[in-house]
Amino acid sequence: MKKIFLLAISLLSIPAFAQQNKPATLPDGTRAVGSPANPKVPMRWNHYNDYGMITKFCQDLAKAYPEYVKLESMGKSFQGRDMWVLVITDAKTGKADRKPGFYIDGNIHSNELQGSEIAMYTAWYLVETAADQPHIKELLQDKVFYIAPTINPDAREDFIRNPNNPNSPRSGMMPMDDDGDGQIDEDKYDDLDGDGNIVMMRRKSPLGRMKQDPSDPTRMIPAKPDEPGEYEMLGYEGLDNDGDGLVNEDLVGSYDPNRDWGWGWQPDYIQRGALFYPGTLPETQAVKKFFFAHPNIAGAQSYHNYGGMMLRGPGSEEDVPYYSPADIAVYDVMGKAGEKMLPGYRYFVIYKDLYTVYGGEIDWFALGRGIFTFSNELMTSYKLFNRKSDDDRFQNDEFNQFSKYLLMDDAYVPWKPFKHPQYGDIEIGGPKKNYIRNHPGFMLEEDAHRNMAFTLFHAFQTPKLDVQSITSKPLGNGLTEVTATVVNQRVIPTHSTHDVKFKIERPDYITLKGANVLAGMIVDNEDMGITREQRRTPGTLEVPTIPGMGFVKVRWVVKGNAGKYTVEVDSRKGGVVEKTL
Amino acid sequence: MKHFITGLAPALLASALAMAQPAPNSSGGYADYNQLTNRLRSLSSRANGTANLQSVGKSVGGKDIWLLTLGRGAAAQKPALAIVAGVDGSHLAGTELAVQLAEKLLTSQSDSVKHLLDTKTLYIFPLVNPDAQSQAFASLKFERSGNDQETDDDRDGRVNEDPAEDLNRDGIISQIRIEDPTGQYIQGKDDPRVLVKADPAKGETGRYILITEGIDNDKDGKFNEDGPGGVAIDKNFTFDYPFFTPGAGEMPVSEPENRALLDFLYKAPNVYAVFTFGPYNNLSEAPKFDRSKTARRIITGILEKDATVGDQVSKLYNGQTSLKDAPAMPATRGNFAQTAYYHYGRLSFSTPGWWAPKTAAPADTARGRAQAGRGPAPATGDNDDVRFLKWADANKVAGAFTNWTTVEHPDFPGRKAEVGGIAPFAKNNPPVQFLNDNAGRHLKFLTAFSTQMPAIDIVNVKTEALGNGLTRVSAQVVNRGLLPTGSEMGDRVRYVPKMKVELKLANGQTILSGRRMILRGAMAAGETMDVNFLVNGAGKVTLEAGNAMTGIKSTELTLK
Repeated sequence: MKKIFLLAISLLSIPAFAQQNKPATLPDGTRAVGSPANPKVPMRWNHYNDYGMITKFCQDLAKAYPEYVKLESMGKSFQGRDMWVLVITDAKTGKADRKPGFYIDGNIHSNELQGSEIAMYTAWYLVETAADQPHIKELLQDKVFYIAPTINPDAREDFIRNPNNPNSPRSGMMPMDDDGDGQIDEDKYDDLDGDGNIVMMRRKSPLGRMKQDPSDPTRMIPAKPDEPGEYEMLGYEGLDNDGDGLVNEDLVGSYDPNRDWGWGWQPDYIQRGALFYPGTLPETQAVKKFFFAHPNIAGAQSYHNYGGMMLRGPGSEEDVPYYSPADIAVYDVMGKAGEKMLPGYRYFVIYKDLYTVYGGEIDWFALGRGIFTFSNELMTSYKLFNRKSDDDRFQNDEFNQFSKYLLMDDAYVPWKPFKHPQYGDIEIGGPKKNYIRNHPGFMLEEDAHRNMAFTLFHAFQTPKLDVQSITSKPLGNGLTEVTATVVNQRVIPTHSTHDVKFKIERPDYITLKGANVLAGMIVDNEDMGITREQRRTPGTLEVPTIPGMGFVKVRWVVKGNAGKYTVEVDSRKGGVVEKTL
Repeated sequence: MKHFITGLAPALLASALAMAQPAPNSSGGYADYNQLTNRLRSLSSRANGTANLQSVGKSVGGKDIWLLTLGRGAAAQKPALAIVAGVDGSHLAGTELAVQLAEKLLTSQSDSVKHLLDTKTLYIFPLVNPDAQSQAFASLKFERSGNDQETDDDRDGRVNEDPAEDLNRDGIISQIRIEDPTGQYIQGKDDPRVLVKADPAKGETGRYILITEGIDNDKDGKFNEDGPGGVAIDKNFTFDYPFFTPGAGEMPVSEPENRALLDFLYKAPNVYAVFTFGPYNNLSEAPKFDRSKTARRIITGILEKDATVGDQVSKLYNGQTSLKDAPAMPATRGNFAQTAYYHYGRLSFSTPGWWAPKTAAPADTARGRAQAGRGPAPATGDNDDVRFLKWADANKVAGAFTNWTTVEHPDFPGRKAEVGGIAPFAKNNPPVQFLNDNAGRHLKFLTAFSTQMPAIDIVNVKTEALGNGLTRVSAQVVNRGLLPTGSEMGDRVRYVPKMKVELKLANGQTILSGRRMILRGAMAAGETMDVNFLVNGAGKVTLEAGNAMTGIKSTELTLK
């Protein structure tokens, strides 16, 4: 009551009054609801960070919030960069690695930059709002977040520093022979005009079948079937560097870090981009090691672009049998909420709604480790004008329109002439490398927030266990029956159906302490008295899972009269809780 | 050590088989890891530069994974064969055969072997899984396939909580049979020592429970389901990986042993074919082509052309080794040899190298037992066991069988329990002296194989002057070997070198027609390819054909 009164006064108050009474954290001006008021680590969220900036951000956050943040390195990338992971939790409320964990990474595909910024925004938001927002405070008390802004730092640096197009490099930086000629990375793109962007090449020619869009000169469209064309398209900016008659055929790296994972892995001829075996890359090995060292990770999120999707597995049709209706129902809770939180984003199944992926990262998280995992494809053309375009992708000129009206013509390199050693007189122009797939600056913070909200909803739904009741009843003959009910107050079970089936993670242990236990059993149906005895270690009962929004009941027969009992629940993904009655 | 000595002697006295030969040092004359290392070192130091020993990595237990490279000249510049053994750690015979093969190669005076060492490189990995193999030399011997990784084999959250126990203290883990009305096993008709599954269709009812030697430490109703011994390397490769099964590890290629092997192989473009000594046989009888297995997205059957090659090599193997009656030994899941074909894209051949020859009148041998003698014997009449025992009896192999002897079993109080059965390692690993002959036979096969390998030639070279410095160059590239330049599977695999034909020009020369460089798939034995160029300019040009797996043939010609 008092609080409401104070709030009412502050809303009506004159500035001087507010000045006098404001908490120390309030800056000048008024706090916007749902955002940190006066962050200790000032950040602007309308640009992309290089590796040095990411490193500094991580260090600053750890320095500003030692009570919440620990900065660790998961390992080194191919070129020797640390793969940072921010470990974020309220250190006062239990050991970090015994709380349900939530893992977030971004940028596995190096040209898909904004996953890093969204991961960073999440880390920043958690600690900068923990003091003011009880929900966030509770999350940090209950959970631990493992946030890795980039798991492909080498090629992120290449994308940012070197000439590239919106799609390059998707790979990491390990040099490879792409065309099988025995030479390595010998015919990369060439930034012919030195502007840092790899754009398109076109040549005016009566043989071409393309023409310039009469209403927008930045745009090339196919000539109508019955009219002559004006231009030939010659691909991305580049030369035939090695004189083999091909242009840009052996680029940086050229493999897919997201086909290097240990579930359903298939070789390159089945799954393009795969390497020698899952975990060929040091980056994959580092993340893999991190997961084995943190079996408490109960939920995970990987950020990609592009297309506006919240994706769940399976990546391939072969794995459909491993998704039980019960596990899918859990995904549906998050996916359907996400469709509301992220306008223009759709909740999709990878193999069915996108394409087939073998050996993908989230397949390993989900089926190799039993972790409920989403992968979001960030940015969608829906966001340009907040509507779904009816045009197909070749007719759709929304990106051009958006650049013209909202980006002040910043997104395209205008066509300009160039003398090409192999093609002669050509023109080069087209979308800049930071357009199309990555968010325009002013949209980044909003989408970071919405995606974070989706992910925090998911993290909130990781198991929260409680010993709801401990009852005892004398059995005569100096025996007492003790029954405990353990509940899971969230949607995600301690073990997915898949996990239970293949025993990926050990069972949950429920231990009765302070009693002389003669027998222990799991209660399948209390009303009908149906139980299953566990002969081995009756004091510590093993349950395969504690279902989401559900419970398990366990029972012990102990020697002596009813006393003071403590029941401890120890679950890898559900944390450790204890109650004494 | 004490109970080993006291335990072993009575067991041997009791054994009807312990008559002729002295008790082996229980490792059958096999070299343990240190002896193997010394043997490899001395072999390479005596070889005058024809052998090079290097470590490609370390096992979980810290033992080096040795690679012995044989051949004269620059190894990486010559077509190579990889010989891989000891991936399944219980297969000691493979390791011994690989080392003996190396010794014979280096000491042979035959011209064909000398030619092999001159023209080819041999990459020999004698022991990929040293951790597992060391169990054969430990004070307690049991057939172990796993490395020193800590694993929770039954995935119950407890590590190594139910190991085997040497109840009769003879230093080996054998089997135990317990007379029990719920048992599924009976004594076999062919050899009563061997237990077989009762067949209700034949009116048989079971009499024995059959378990491995030991007690149920964790009282879960299973015996010895989680003992020491971590990831079985030969179940941990990428092809047909048996996820979440005991010994397979948490994911494919999770171990340093197979990473070291694959990292070397994938970066060695000159490897033409892979030979494995191990408990999988595709050599005495080649796998058949089955279109239904190759038409799907994930290919699980040998491709058509490779099946033909397999047949040819199989005939060569049977002819050169003169070995008969090989057991079928189908591939187990996640093994190396299949991964070498399906994922590494090389022709891949595997043989146990030794098996018990048929001795007496041939019984009806049911083939198809891949079971390497661990755990309870397989379901139907296990004639592999019978055949092995027949051979062991005839050859007076000591310690091959432990006669069933009564023992107190705490989990079966008051009931008749007996320890016995075929000794661990015995079935696939005969005393070493039986391998010498087989090593020689495999050397013969390997030498013959090497003479069939692809041989690229450039023939019928013609230069025609068309006037004013314009020359038409035509030639034929031919594979004069008896084997293709690579497998059909290799055509699909990105990391297998393509066949390359290249016309190398000097300054001032230009090609007016024809591709300067042609990359293509494998050429069959005898296959010919026409190449034509129009070259403008004067002087010499060089035509090259081949790749790292075939060697490169080069011809210089003068423009007219």
